[in-house]
Amino acid sequence: MSDFWVLFAKELKNLLRDKKLIFGLVVVPLIIYPALGKGMGIGIEKARGETHVAIANFDSGDYGSLLIKALNSSPNVTVTLVEAGDVAAALERASNLKQNVLVVIPPGFSESIAENRSAIVYVYGIFSSLGTGMKESVSEGRINAIIQALSRGIAEIKVRKLGFSEPSALLSPIQARSLSYVRGRLVNVSPSAVSAILASQSVTLPIVVFLMVTLTAQIAAGAIASEKENKTLETLLTLPVKRTTIVASKIGGTAVMGLIAALTYTFGMRSYIGSSFGGSNVSLGDLGIRITPQGILLFGVVVFLTVAFALSLAMLLAIFSEDVQSANTVVSSVILPLAFPSFILMYTDLSSLPKAAAYALLSDPFTHPIVAYQWMLAGEYARIAWSIGYLSAAALALLYLTARAFSGEKILTAKMGWGRRRR
Amino acid sequence: MEVPAVRVEGLEKDYGKVRALKGISFQIGEGEIFGLIGPNGAGKSTTLKILATLLKPTAGKAEVFGHDVVEEAGKVRGMISYLPEEAGAYKNLTGREYLEFMAKLYAKGGRNADEMLELGVELSGLGERLDDKVSTYSKGMTRRLLLARALMVKPKLAILDEPASGLDIINAYTIRKTIKALSASEGVTFLISSHNMLEVEYLCHRVALISGGRIVEAGTPAELKERYEAENLEEVFMRAIGLEGGQK
Ligand SMILES: Nc1ncnc2c1ncn2[C@@H]1O[C@H](COP(=O)(O)OP(=O)(O)OP(=O)(O)O)[C@@H](O)[C@H]1O
Ligand SMILES: [Mg+2]
Repeated sequence: MSDFWVLFAKELKNLLRDKKLIFGLVVVPLIIYPALGKGMGIGIEKARGETHVAIANFDSGDYGSLLIKALNSSPNVTVTLVEAGDVAAALERASNLKQNVLVVIPPGFSESIAENRSAIVYVYGIFSSLGTGMKESVSEGRINAIIQALSRGIAEIKVRKLGFSEPSALLSPIQARSLSYVRGRLVNVSPSAVSAILASQSVTLPIVVFLMVTLTAQIAAGAIASEKENKTLETLLTLPVKRTTIVASKIGGTAVMGLIAALTYTFGMRSYIGSSFGGSNVSLGDLGIRITPQGILLFGVVVFLTVAFALSLAMLLAIFSEDVQSANTVVSSVILPLAFPSFILMYTDLSSLPKAAAYALLSDPFTHPIVAYQWMLAGEYARIAWSIGYLSAAALALLYLTARAFSGEKILTAKMGWGRRRR
Repeated sequence: MEVPAVRVEGLEKDYGKVRALKGISFQIGEGEIFGLIGPNGAGKSTTLKILATLLKPTAGKAEVFGHDVVEEAGKVRGMISYLPEEAGAYKNLTGREYLEFMAKLYAKGGRNADEMLELGVELSGLGERLDDKVSTYSKGMTRRLLLARALMVKPKLAILDEPASGLDIINAYTIRKTIKALSASEGVTFLISSHNMLEVEYLCHRVALISGGRIVEAGTPAELKERYEAENLEEVFMRAIGLEGGQK
């Protein structure tokens, strides 16, 4: 076995036996994320459960009874009639009965409708605890939908009585049909559905990239700093092995961990988002967006180079730190601000920004995976190639500096307790 | 003329403002066991680190078997084995895995990793504990593991910074015997720093006394004792650095 593989095997062994690391790499994304997603899913499911509606009817006419009947016959709605002298008393009763909503039908309700005046029905959401309020909102939505359906039904009957054969044309003289024109291609999907699917992609990706970059950076810093902390560095540096081989083996070991992180976090985020927000039933393919193998390859190279950049930056910083803790501190305080701008791209895209701002964002290597992803969807491969060029230059420059620093004696004599009091 | 194992000339080292070495010179012949003694902060470890290619001298020259430690650091690393004053082993590996890892890196040019490992296992004296993780070792056990790794590779030059520090009497004794044996049978050259005068007197063919970044005395233990009319090296040490008057 060559030196590289001997050193690489040792790095991997050392990393894979690190319980904290395995926790962050496997348990968090594969168990905790999906569990969190499930938890949120259960919450939503619960909110979608039975709506308990109390009704206080102060109306004596037929339309009030009709409304009660409509509510009564709706699915997922349980109706309880409350007897009360006034609204305040009704609210109190409804609250005591643990109802989610109180519907108050005021006196003269039927009369107004009969006389072609607008009638009002009051819908009170009852918040007995100040939780998410999701249940109350879902309940209100349901009641409103029932009221609207009923309202429309009454309107149609009235219109028909006036002698019109097609009441809906009269009630909604204008109807909107939404379609989308996606990059020169007409698709039968509403713009809001298109933007929903794009948004779900553009939220997941920055988060996965962010987690992956910060995680690998920490591992890389740890790979160097732990040699210092455990006093194994001096021995390592006197071994009959090229210094560049040592650096390469450390990068290799960390890269494997980064790869594992990329896989587990993508998977974990998928199931988190999938189980909590419900998958969209429109896919990229429906929008006429085809992801080609070339596109994936180019995008993969961009992600790889971004991680390589983060890795060498973290190692360079760790070389000048005295122990794992201070290495982690300095790496976080440098990588986090650099990784943050990529979140801007969750809400805006590059082309809508002023040129200067766009270039400023692009000068930060960590924004490239997100931008490159958009370019990949758009099939703008020349731009991805440009990004690869920039990232390669940045990563190589840093790698060179890291290898240089590793060969000098500063790695032994620099003892920065970054952000801590010097001892 | 035969190339000396170590040749140091006018060596100086500054750590920022601190002048650790102020021009030291000495030579070590092949197969010799050479001791570097001196008070705390004298510059022993600094000298050893320069020879181990870890630090670069501010001025002067240091060579190992004729190879400059700065210009030909790679060559030098191929001939030496260095034991730092304060060192650890990889905590998540077992002792055996650690030795195996090191043996593989040194097994070059037809040298056999298995033989090194076998010797390492024997020298460590850790027995079954060798299959436990290094993180469960005591300080002395770790030191024995590190010493075993430094010696099992049978380097041309072994640079040991306070090799027996933290070892119990039995282990310190065993190590001294091993060093002597390796020097005699394999012709390994040793450069050792130590605070234990008994150890130095028993072990070293020649000794240099270093103080304040300068070599103040050098010679065989017998020569030094005679020069200072001392019973043992401890007295030589105290008198040479001027802390105790002579008996003359
Ligand atoms: N990394 C460093 N930065 C600054 N000064 C240092 C550094 N290492 C050593 N020194 C200084 O260099 C001088 C020599 O130190 P060195 O470690 O060589 O002494 P030593 O003889 O090995 O001492 P000891 O017996 O305590 O091990 C001391 O004054 C020390 O303070
Ligand atoms: Mg020392």
